[in-house]
Amino acid sequence: MVSRRRDAEYTEYVAARLPSLRRLAGVLCGDWGRADDLVQATLTTLYVHWGRVRTATHPDAYARAVLVREFTRERRSVWARRVSLSGQVSDCPAAAADHDAVLDLRAAVAGLPPRQRATLVLRYYCDLNVDQAAQILGCSPGTVKSQTARALEAVRRALGPAPDLSREARP
Amino acid sequence: MSESQLRALFAQIAAGEPAGSRIDTQRAHRRGRARLRWRRACVAGGSLLAAAAVAALAVGVGPARPGPGPAAAGPAAPRQFSPLVPYASFGWLPAGVSLVSGGIRPTSSYMDAGPQGDPQWTLAVYARGQCHLTSSASGVNCPGAKLPISQRAPDVAGHRAFWYSPGLVWQYARGGWARLSIPAPNLSAVLHSKQGLAGQALKIARGVRYGVTTRLVFAARFSGLPSQWQIHNISYYERDGGLVRADQYMLTTGSSRFHPHVGDTGVWTDAPYIIVHPAPRKGTCSPHDPSSQNTSEIINGYRVVLKRTHIGGLPVQELCGAHADGLWFDIQVFGAHPSIDVTSLFRDHMRLLGTNPANWTSHPIG
Repeated sequence: MVSRRRDAEYTEYVAARLPSLRRLAGVLCGDWGRADDLVQATLTTLYVHWGRVRTATHPDAYARAVLVREFTRERRSVWARRVSLSGQVSDCPAAAADHDAVLDLRAAVAGLPPRQRATLVLRYYCDLNVDQAAQILGCSPGTVKSQTARALEAVRRALGPAPDLSREARP
Repeated sequence: MSESQLRALFAQIAAGEPAGSRIDTQRAHRRGRARLRWRRACVAGGSLLAAAAVAALAVGVGPARPGPGPAAAGPAAPRQFSPLVPYASFGWLPAGVSLVSGGIRPTSSYMDAGPQGDPQWTLAVYARGQCHLTSSASGVNCPGAKLPISQRAPDVAGHRAFWYSPGLVWQYARGGWARLSIPAPNLSAVLHSKQGLAGQALKIARGVRYGVTTRLVFAARFSGLPSQWQIHNISYYERDGGLVRADQYMLTTGSSRFHPHVGDTGVWTDAPYIIVHPAPRKGTCSPHDPSSQNTSEIINGYRVVLKRTHIGGLPVQELCGAHADGLWFDIQVFGAHPSIDVTSLFRDHMRLLGTNPANWTSHPIG
């Protein structure tokens, strides 16, 4: 039966990849509740396009692309604009190693527009090169470069000038 | 702030993943399946409307609007397809690949083929005037699909053809286009495939037969309906032995209306959506579905579940039977005041024909 075989393959794939998809969603959203919603929507889309996923050269890259595009699309929607609290930090318990600087950095990254945030996540969390990130985001490598530069600049601006420790140490 | 700080931040967020999750893979499964169903059943919502518009314009109108570029010679493609007969069929498929399923819409017809019942190749054939080559020949625009052309492909049966990513689109007759989506991630993978996907695609395209008659059979028959009721949007499946069974379809009448913004791809009101096929061994009607009000009752000797719910502000009636003489069926009607409700449609007008294909019918209404 067509659907039975399709369903079995899909279920097996999703069971194996769910943790990594969820972590990626968590890093993108900075909020685990929203991350779960994002993964939920992604899994539905993967089911609909399963024929394409399973024949893709890199199914994991395909799944990642679906999730990232769902993230950027969702953030553009009216609903997201209404409920999103820009700059809000994650509501998950802070790790023991958290300190002010990390919290500031987290808030600065959370305040980025979704495509810039996705660009940083793909480059520095997924360790993708410019071309690979461009493929997932559906844009040119040049755009990835400019988005990365703008995102880093925005984060730096949000963090403010680094304190001059040497001056503070003076009497 | 350095890149290493960013990496550390992301790693820390990922490491903070809470144990509990509200992700429900079964729900994704169900929603995905429903979306696929709507896609197939409703994708031609626009097509039905377009078909009506075409029919209205067709009175006293001359030939179809010529597209840019040289028009194909020979006979014209039909303006509409028969709602009960697939317009095209595969003439050649790679070894181990066979027809899995297909669908008939008023102005388009599609077929999925793949190995062991797993759909991989999709052929879509469009009626005359549905697709247009853009003036710059940079793409072919069809209903629901804008196909950016990557490069010219070898002609298909003497007609112009183009590669898009990842597929082949060609003019099969004057004013009519067809496209074949190829199981590959992109066009580059098609053109450089070791399995010769490009050659296979061309051979499939050249083998397509148009205007052939494939007999569909239905496991249910409707009688006593007013004459304006018609069957539309059939989805069919090939069973062992080459029997092509119509599993899903809609009944429409003059008051049926399409609501494009309801659900994932729009729904029709006053148009029962019907699914009938042999019952899976563990098939159910999800009788305890918490998203709807359910009642279980016996109608015509069959145990059925009647559900009432809403989608996008529209009331929905659904009647489902999981084991009705070996068949599983589901009828859904959207809208507040349907001409016929699901219960009376099933009780007074619908007869299930059992699991023996010899008893199925090619004339589902009458």
